[in-house]
Amino acid sequence: MKDLGLYLGCVIPNEQYGYEMSIREVIPEFDINLIDIENVSCCGAPLRSVNLMMQLYLSARNIALCESKDMDMYAPCPQCHLSLMETIHRLNNSDVLRDKIVKKLRDYEGLTYTGDLTIYHTLDLLYDEIGLERIKKKVKKPLDWNIACHYGCHTVRYSDLKRPDRAEHPSKMEEIIRVLGAKTNDYSEKLNCCGAPLLITHKDSALTKAGEKLKAIKERHFDATAIVCPFGGRMLDSNQEKAGKTIGEKLEIPVFYLTQLIGLSMKKQTNNLGIHLNLSSEKIFI
Amino acid sequence: MIDLFNMSSPDLKKYSVLEKHLSLLGIESPNICYQCSKCTSGCEAMKLLELEPHSIMASAKEGFIEEIMQSDSIWDCVGCYKCVERCPQKMSPVDLMYILKNWCVSSGKQLPGDYQKIIQNILSSGYVQDSLDVMDIHKKIWNRKSIKLPELKRPKDQQYFTKIISQIAVEGLL
Repeated sequence: MKDLGLYLGCVIPNEQYGYEMSIREVIPEFDINLIDIENVSCCGAPLRSVNLMMQLYLSARNIALCESKDMDMYAPCPQCHLSLMETIHRLNNSDVLRDKIVKKLRDYEGLTYTGDLTIYHTLDLLYDEIGLERIKKKVKKPLDWNIACHYGCHTVRYSDLKRPDRAEHPSKMEEIIRVLGAKTNDYSEKLNCCGAPLLITHKDSALTKAGEKLKAIKERHFDATAIVCPFGGRMLDSNQEKAGKTIGEKLEIPVFYLTQLIGLSMKKQTNNLGIHLNLSSEKIFI
Repeated sequence: MIDLFNMSSPDLKKYSVLEKHLSLLGIESPNICYQCSKCTSGCEAMKLLELEPHSIMASAKEGFIEEIMQSDSIWDCVGCYKCVERCPQKMSPVDLMYILKNWCVSSGKQLPGDYQKIIQNILSSGYVQDSLDVMDIHKKIWNRKSIKLPELKRPKDQQYFTKIISQIAVEGLL
């Protein structure tokens, strides 16, 4: 049994409950004990545009809180994962920044930061730590859909920061999907942005980007889309109807978190996986 | 940002501060940009919002920092990181834009969109948003409690958290 500090960030525990439910339901099946880290807050990523110092402090603070329990971390939100990895990278490469942040954490909150821990995202936790063989052994009811994979920008970029998969030709998600019995294929819009960051400043453009991505997936006759990012969930699932209206298309593409798909293949109850909360799943389940 | 090169004069002092900030983050100076435009050809904000990272780099490199800060286009960046991934010179237009946006904020320029709300929420609750009530496919309303998810972890001493984060907010990068 391996202990991992679960760091959910803002969007998963405050809105994308289906991702959290399926993580808590599925990941412990692979001998991983998820422990909620105390005292945590936002990772600071949304503050990059406002104040980079705040971002670095908040990310380092959450890392230090996990380190204080002597655990590696699991951050299922790619935006958090990127911000945490970026902070470790920045502080490893600049003594000035490192000294500044380390001193503040110690003086203000009595925290010790080293940055010497492994931080997993869902994708590398499943693929590299758990492995395809062990996932395969748990499949009781193979999925028979043709599923498009949406990685999300921060899951794969940028390479200097050790991302969960390759920047230009990611394939771990497809390999997991195939182990679940489902079909999948590459499509040229696979690495396109879902539009989520634009919700802060340009709502219509955000919805247009989400709509265009889903339209491309629909035109390629996929039955469903798999995601590993709560912002992908917000845009492609929760806002799918609005995105469709914005670009004048009826989209109706069921969107699932990868952990929900694994749970389905393990014959877990849909309600325990939060699938009833995926507004786009109506077509398949009603 | 049209034809700045004839309308204004470069601010080399600001440019050297920009270089210092970039180097603190381990990022190459815009000096070595040779305008291949790979950043713009992959830019996720180019098609819809006409953001051209290579133009930003060209203006920065010539010292037209204030002009970039005055144009709203740096706020169109979605932060997809394609530009830094693909830059053959290992520069980072996205981080250059983050730094200039930080400068806009510290100079008192009004924040666009929902940024003010986001800062307020983080300062007051530790998170960008409160826990939402969500609807399921049967139009039934759920929240963390009714789903039976564990209580959300938060900064233990919220008042103290607000105080220290506000203190950090007034400090710059250097």
